[in-house]
Amino acid sequence: MGVLAERKPLRPELAVTLSTWQIAVRRFRRNPLSLMGLILIVGFILMALLAPLLAPPPPNARNPYMMPHAGYSPDPQPPRPGHPFGTTEQAFDIYYGIIWGARTAFRVGLLVVAISVLIGIVVGSVAGYFRGRVDEFLMRVVDIFLAFPGLILAVVVVAILGPGLENVLIALALVSWPGYARLLRGEILSVRERDYVEAARAMGAGDVKIILRHILPNSIYPVLVVSSLDMGSIVVTAAALSFLGLGAPIGYADWGQIISLSRNWIIGAGGNAFAFWYTVVFPGAALVLFTLGWNLLGDAFRDILDPRLRGAS
Amino acid sequence: MTVFIARRLLLLPLVGIGVTLLIFSLLQLLSPQQRAALYVTDPRQLQAIDAIIREHGLDRPVYIQYVQWLGRVLQGDLGWSETAKMPVARAIATFFPATLELTLYTFLPIIALGIWLGTKSAVHRDQVIDHFSRLFAIGGQSFPTFVWGLLLLMVFYGAWRLFPPGRLSLEANLVVLDPTQFRTYTHLVTVDALLNGKLWIFLDALRHLALPVITLSLVQTATLVRVTRSSMLETLRQDYVRTARAKGLEEPRVINKHARKNALIPVITLSALLFVGLLNGVVITETIYNYPGIGRWGANAAIQLDAPAVAGFALFSALLLVFGNLAADILYAWIDPRIRLG
Amino acid sequence: MTKTRWFMLPVLVAALALAFQPGLASGQAVKNPDTFVAVSFGDWDSLDWAWAYDTASFGVIFNIYEPLIFFEGGRMDRFTPMLATAVPTIQNGLLSKDGKTYTFPIRQGVRFHDGTPMTAEDVVYSLRRFLLTDRSGGPSSLLLEPILGLTSTRDDKGNLILKYADLTRAIRAQGNNVIITLKEPFGPFLSILAQWSYVIPKKTAIARGDWDGTAATMRKYNNPKKESMAFFEFANGTGPFKLERWDRAGRQIILVRNDNYWRTPARLRRVVIRQVDEPATRILMLKAGDADADLGVTRRELPQYEGAPGIRIIDDLPTGTSTNPAVFFTFNIDCAGNPDCGSGRLDGAGIPPNFFSDVNVRRGFAYAFDYNTFLQDGFRGKATLAKGVIPRGMFGFNEKQEYFTFDRARAAANFREAWGGQVWERGFKVTVLYNAGNVVRELGARILKDNIEAINPKFKIDIRGITWSSYLAAMDASKLPVFFIGWLADYPDPHNFTFHFMHSDGTFPHVQKFKNEEVDRLVTAAARETDRAKREQMYFELNRKYFELVPSFATVNAIAFRVQRSWVRGWYWNPMFPGTYYYTISKG
Repeated sequence: MGVLAERKPLRPELAVTLSTWQIAVRRFRRNPLSLMGLILIVGFILMALLAPLLAPPPPNARNPYMMPHAGYSPDPQPPRPGHPFGTTEQAFDIYYGIIWGARTAFRVGLLVVAISVLIGIVVGSVAGYFRGRVDEFLMRVVDIFLAFPGLILAVVVVAILGPGLENVLIALALVSWPGYARLLRGEILSVRERDYVEAARAMGAGDVKIILRHILPNSIYPVLVVSSLDMGSIVVTAAALSFLGLGAPIGYADWGQIISLSRNWIIGAGGNAFAFWYTVVFPGAALVLFTLGWNLLGDAFRDILDPRLRGAS
Repeated sequence: MTVFIARRLLLLPLVGIGVTLLIFSLLQLLSPQQRAALYVTDPRQLQAIDAIIREHGLDRPVYIQYVQWLGRVLQGDLGWSETAKMPVARAIATFFPATLELTLYTFLPIIALGIWLGTKSAVHRDQVIDHFSRLFAIGGQSFPTFVWGLLLLMVFYGAWRLFPPGRLSLEANLVVLDPTQFRTYTHLVTVDALLNGKLWIFLDALRHLALPVITLSLVQTATLVRVTRSSMLETLRQDYVRTARAKGLEEPRVINKHARKNALIPVITLSALLFVGLLNGVVITETIYNYPGIGRWGANAAIQLDAPAVAGFALFSALLLVFGNLAADILYAWIDPRIRLG
Repeated sequence: MTKTRWFMLPVLVAALALAFQPGLASGQAVKNPDTFVAVSFGDWDSLDWAWAYDTASFGVIFNIYEPLIFFEGGRMDRFTPMLATAVPTIQNGLLSKDGKTYTFPIRQGVRFHDGTPMTAEDVVYSLRRFLLTDRSGGPSSLLLEPILGLTSTRDDKGNLILKYADLTRAIRAQGNNVIITLKEPFGPFLSILAQWSYVIPKKTAIARGDWDGTAATMRKYNNPKKESMAFFEFANGTGPFKLERWDRAGRQIILVRNDNYWRTPARLRRVVIRQVDEPATRILMLKAGDADADLGVTRRELPQYEGAPGIRIIDDLPTGTSTNPAVFFTFNIDCAGNPDCGSGRLDGAGIPPNFFSDVNVRRGFAYAFDYNTFLQDGFRGKATLAKGVIPRGMFGFNEKQEYFTFDRARAAANFREAWGGQVWERGFKVTVLYNAGNVVRELGARILKDNIEAINPKFKIDIRGITWSSYLAAMDASKLPVFFIGWLADYPDPHNFTFHFMHSDGTFPHVQKFKNEEVDRLVTAAARETDRAKREQMYFELNRKYFELVPSFATVNAIAFRVQRSWVRGWYWNPMFPGTYYYTISKG
């Protein structure tokens, strides 16, 4: 905090300075869990980017997200040469699904977060900046969305639109945006009274300009924290929707879909309870590590940006 | 205080209308055939779709259907739920007690474990216990519920025959259903069993509650751990705690007496909302353990597009939320006199 | 919290485990020896037989109520008297020579569950009520057609066209006999009656506010609301079991033995049928002995039962009652706003609405399906190849009928001819649909996709699963270009198949927009033919037509199986049973 005061940057309202990066580096070096989170996420990013190299799609494949299958065997088969993670029912290759599933996880997570944050920004800033009746009305709309249990609302939306990943995206965005709207509104409410905002207004800047240049950049940090925590839960909720038959189609490279296929095999075969362990362990590990990584990263973000959250004086 | 409560209660019909409006607007996207298909279970009945559309008035514009539905609701008629084969109001009254019972028994471990782990985490920040509890919490949350559910079922029921699925065993069930042997007061089986003096039914119900409670706790504890931890961290930094420490008070006293009470405020707020949040968690848990609650019915109604059921369910959960919020705010005001007077 | 506390936890769990003394695996003593617990998957619609049209409801109904005649043992083509004392035939004179009048002598001394005697009057009331009810999408047309020549009791505007005089003339009591007069002779009539002639007590019905049997109140009781019918959730029948309770909250139905049954009372004292949605949970319940039969099990889960102690799997049960799945084409697709048509033109990015009206396209699809792989991987080899719309095991099935096989060359040849060669040149893109959750149909769609795409890279197939109610709605609106669905016989007669698969008024041709007048004529004539040998030839001719015109193509005929605890005795199989017949069952 003291470091910031000494610096006196030209645009005092922009709190991201070199000091933040220094704090960040120190945090990651000192705290093994945060470092682990960073490594995990970077690992998944690499996995997603390098998917065509790590798991090349078959030559004629129209859609690389559909897992290749050699035959249609109704039972899962254990890991063996050519299929390091084994195959699910209908002979889908689990290894391929895990690799390309990283792409799907990022796509779903980032898109849902992006859409909900966008809607949340618009609603939250309008409400927080203009206050009064507009604020009341918009917050009631937010209340209405939040009054409905998220999973059920998502189920209703997907049931109406039809199963499929795009519709899952829409449903999850509809469920998530109110949280961001509320968050942003709160932040904006506290920021709008600051000196530099008053100054800008006194200088005659328009409302939109004030919102975009002064208010938003300072309110955005909690969003960063919350959205990283959200990334994991979005992917897990999508898995729940797959379990209910409303997610990606069977054979799509989506961790949630792969693990929902394991539902019939978790209790194992006749004598051996863990005969089909690989149908659960590999997609499960991917889900856990992905969620873990984002959670740890989110916690790290929060600790780094803590002084900023409390607001520069 | 009364004004405060009254104002919040006035919110309820507004939120209720808003929620149902949302549902009906979504249903607007469906064609009349899709809405009629709920009543048609087999292709051989397809030729009756037109008749069904006419009979249920599904070809009239959705806003008219909404207004008519709303009118009936104000008279107490929530419509018929095809997926439950009974009126919607009766379905809610039938299934909710089971979920309520499950939720109440889940509350205790979640709060106890969550607060305890969260506190320990905050106090021993960045040490082993902190890392462990955070990993445990996140792990529980990031595995899909059904994976935990089936694994636990396999171990505790399949292998050990300890905790069976369902709500009651066959014998207990037959007794409970028989009005000459069992009087139902609260529809909470454990409570009613005790009121009827039948201890073995009470124990039987507990045995069946074990697995759903454990599964739900695993998944939901994470939130509470995180909130307690950050709230405690926040509080521990406060001046009055530093003062207490400086005065030389022992650490446990500092935590128990001063820090925890104030840290509990957001936790209480969260607990009330957690209750409603559990409605999300029970959906899959109830399906796997064949526990006849409202989550399973609600999700099933949503998947099959049972419009009156979904709308009724939406209304009901809005009601729960408003009351939950109200309860939280009252508790909050009661604990923190600054709010009451301010 | 001190360190010792941590140790307590595992010790506690171990202690609990010992205290509860986990069950013994094999050699388990019979659990609940006089109660049968069946776990199932599927909602009960109504316990009133005049309304119900689903197997779940009838699975309960046929244990509580009884029809005039019943299937003999495991046969679906032979009948035995039940509430009637004889099965009408021309030989015993109870069926008139012109095949139109059936006389049923009614058994005396039978009582309903409330103790009141069953009379011919009750039989007449039950049947007339069934015809009058005729709820939308209900089963009443099954008897309305042969008896009164009507497809519905209402006209297009919803007015009642059923006449009391006709109703009472066609179904009447004469002393202890019930006489039913058909409009035209109808071969399958007795097989329909074996499942749709349950007898309910007239007095109870009236006491519960149902139809009083007169002309004056007919209008009110036509197409009633499901929940307002007398026997929706209340039962009073003559069967070996009484309804003790329909526990909606617990999703279970409890039946209790009828000790005053007109035959020897059943051995089981109680039957509990429970709905359990999750397959894994059903499996664990059966293994633990908490359930005696798994009525919802599919071949996919079967390996999890194999070798399990105390479980008996009875396989290779003959069916002959279903054609499931078949692949259907829509001849005139509603492509407006329909993503499954793609571009809506024959340009390689979609299909025009009449794409499937060219028989070469249909044949191309039919030859491109890998039937044997489907059989092996979808049914674990427990199925037989279909030869047409009539399933193996049903009268009219022709083993020698030529039918489609997986033949890439022929498929390619057909595609080359389709639409004057344009299909081959330009290619197409279409979606094959199935109902989400049905793994077998999804597999079929995938097999079709893989094989067609392998024929020509310009052929692009997507597969998509949609939820059941949306699926039915889209089917009704003719929006599905090519789709998988199946048919379970209403009654064991080939007419039920030929009508619904080939006649333009039938369920499928209606939505497919398929019509062939010659086929229509043949279907109707075959139903009316009374000479068995002639009839068989007519169905053979229909099989040929089905192969030639290929409005749809059948894939396999599944073989049925049953999973139950090995302590279950007395169970027997009849392909027409909608569920388990508990009368003969005991445990021990």
